[in-house]
Amino acid sequence: MSSDTELARFDLVERLVHWSTAIMMLTLIVTGAILYLPSLALRVGHRGLVENIHVITGLSLLGPLVLGVAGPWRKRLIKDLRRFDRWGASDFDWFRGPARRSGLPRDKFNGGQKIEAAFLGAVMVAALVTGVIMRFAPSSWITWATGATLVHDALFFAIVAAVIAHVAFALSRPDQLVSMFNGRIPRSWAKLHAGAWLSEVEVSKGEVSEADLAGPPGGSSP
Amino acid sequence: MAEESGQSSGRPDPGTKPVHMGRRTVLGILGLAGIGIAVGAKVDNALGSVSSAVSNAIGVPLPGDDQFRFYTVTGSYPVIPADTYELTVEGMVREPLRLRLADLLSMKRTTLVHRFQCVTGWYVPNVHWQGVLLSDVLEHAGVAPEATALRFFSADGEYTESLTLAQAQRPDILVADKMLGANVTADHGGPVRLYVAPMYGYKSIKWLNRIEVTNQVVNGYWEDNGYPANAWIGGSSSVSVVP
Repeated sequence: MSSDTELARFDLVERLVHWSTAIMMLTLIVTGAILYLPSLALRVGHRGLVENIHVITGLSLLGPLVLGVAGPWRKRLIKDLRRFDRWGASDFDWFRGPARRSGLPRDKFNGGQKIEAAFLGAVMVAALVTGVIMRFAPSSWITWATGATLVHDALFFAIVAAVIAHVAFALSRPDQLVSMFNGRIPRSWAKLHAGAWLSEVEVSKGEVSEADLAGPPGGSSP
Repeated sequence: MAEESGQSSGRPDPGTKPVHMGRRTVLGILGLAGIGIAVGAKVDNALGSVSSAVSNAIGVPLPGDDQFRFYTVTGSYPVIPADTYELTVEGMVREPLRLRLADLLSMKRTTLVHRFQCVTGWYVPNVHWQGVLLSDVLEHAGVAPEATALRFFSADGEYTESLTLAQAQRPDILVADKMLGANVTADHGGPVRLYVAPMYGYKSIKWLNRIEVTNQVVNGYWEDNGYPANAWIGGSSSVSVVP
């Protein structure tokens, strides 16, 4: 293979799910901050409106992901979700830091990206559940609502920290950032950072092509 | 995926079984959240003073602190000088009233020490409230026998609330001009707000400037946003906070 080609990293479905979820997360963080932080709450006001935007966006948050896995366009997304779940030695090795890693060929995503994905997925669900309790629980559930508020408030800090880390990592890794826009990543990047994935792509002949970018490739079985 | 395990060259670590760390992470976090929901109210209680102290120090609200969150339903909230404040009581009354702050201060004073409980779950324990019982204000105005309900209006022009006349007779509902040991500040709804101890916080209307005695309950701002008009804390009206 020549060294200048690009590989298909994310298909259109994955990018749509990513960016629509990202826009909703940003909306939730901004409206959540207005609802939560007294200085912002007093400056912005309009609590009924801000609350409704926050609640409706929150209820829709998992919509793109659910739609993404709901149809025949799901293949690549499902495959990547499984990657987040399945950890091999190279994923644990990644946490040793750049200087001490053993150089095992890595999967499409490294251990840090996998933990971030699992973490963000989990906190999204946890925030949804606690948010629904806060907003819709009958008034006799107040003890649970207090617990849900405690968790939801704690999640606010966790989510803000995770999103800041996510954006900071993305901005400092232009190849990967661009791939979330156009779906493609240089083979040279894969060779250096995702050797195991590169071998997998080569075995399944999944090199970039117009068909690849328009939709998920066919099954990777030989 | 099954087909992936068939490609030895494509696996990150040939020879070892993958560990389901993603699933474990998700289940772990959801488990923690579940525990948080179940025992959060107790944790909140225990955390209160520590969390409040840190929150005060850093100026950011923290989970479980005993601090008020500030709600305003309009773009900016009214700042009303104490010396120009006036509370109108009108509608189905014998004698409409225009009460200034000095009038409220000269009436029979009542003090309550009780939590402010928001319907979403946060609360502030042992808040010191002082003012005139709503029932005393109504007695001064002389409510007509056919009246059954009250409408409350806020100086912000948006916020409204309601109570039935029967609810308003309770000895734990204050037209409050003092809270937290000082005059009610503008951000807390001063100079005068309502404090409805047995109900969720949204019933305790801020910047109260008009009470209308009427014969039908009209939904207020938060009721129009889907919250119940009979907002008893814990769903029951039987809990009285008066010693």
